[in-house]
Amino acid sequence: MAGPLAPARTPDTSTEEESQLDRPWVTLVWDDPVNLMTYVTFVLQDLFGYDEPTATELMLQVHHEGKAIVSSGPRERMEHDTNRLHAYGLWATFQRDA
Amino acid sequence: MKPFRRRGDELVARLVDAEAGILGLLLDQLEQLLAADPADSGGDPVLARLLPPGSTADAEIAADYRGLTEEGLRSGKADDLATVRATLPPDGGEVRLDDEQARAWLRTTNDLRLALGTRLGVTAETEPPEPEEAGEEGSQLAVYYWLTAVQGSLIDAVAASRGGRR
Repeated sequence: MAGPLAPARTPDTSTEEESQLDRPWVTLVWDDPVNLMTYVTFVLQDLFGYDEPTATELMLQVHHEGKAIVSSGPRERMEHDTNRLHAYGLWATFQRDA
Repeated sequence: MKPFRRRGDELVARLVDAEAGILGLLLDQLEQLLAADPADSGGDPVLARLLPPGSTADAEIAADYRGLTEEGLRSGKADDLATVRATLPPDGGEVRLDDEQARAWLRTTNDLRLALGTRLGVTAETEPPEPEEAGEEGSQLAVYYWLTAVQGSLIDAVAASRGGRR
């Protein structure tokens, strides 16, 4: 609830198209029954430079929740990231961030 | 099989004659699969797993992505396969890999596991076959778990040495 100290908000004038352009894209890794947990952790470290605890946390999220966002940014970079994950046999897709 | 271990700058394992022979045959099969005309192989679940869509929600994005990346993905897999073949002693013996070759082995053994796992319908609940479990499916599952052991030891050896260096 906005009180007297709340910052004045300028009305949102951006069109639907503009806000779509602003929204980043994400790369997702999905769970599958073949890829080893140690392999998924290794690949996330190798491709994205995550330290081991971060990569392990993302791997466990994939394992338990079925998917995890592993990177975000412009569409071209997400295509590239998806492609690098596919080269390692991980099940990856990219999409506009929901 | 003597699993992969780090020895100096190299990752070293030892395969017996029969293991090297089986791996060689699997490489031939994977090579044929990857060389197949994409138009002829529509609907093959194994090829679909090896060359997955970039989007499952948007057909247009998936088609764009495939057009941009499929050829490169296929040729990268073919290069990896050639590296594995070049470093595999055909009659068994010691396998010695540098770090780049080890990555090619990781990707190719993973592709072989994905291919076999998809064919055999492996799920999270699948268990290694009992030794006496005869039949084609039992022996293919045994090969799948043998590949798992090879790849697993290589992952551990590469990851451990990387951790130690940083």
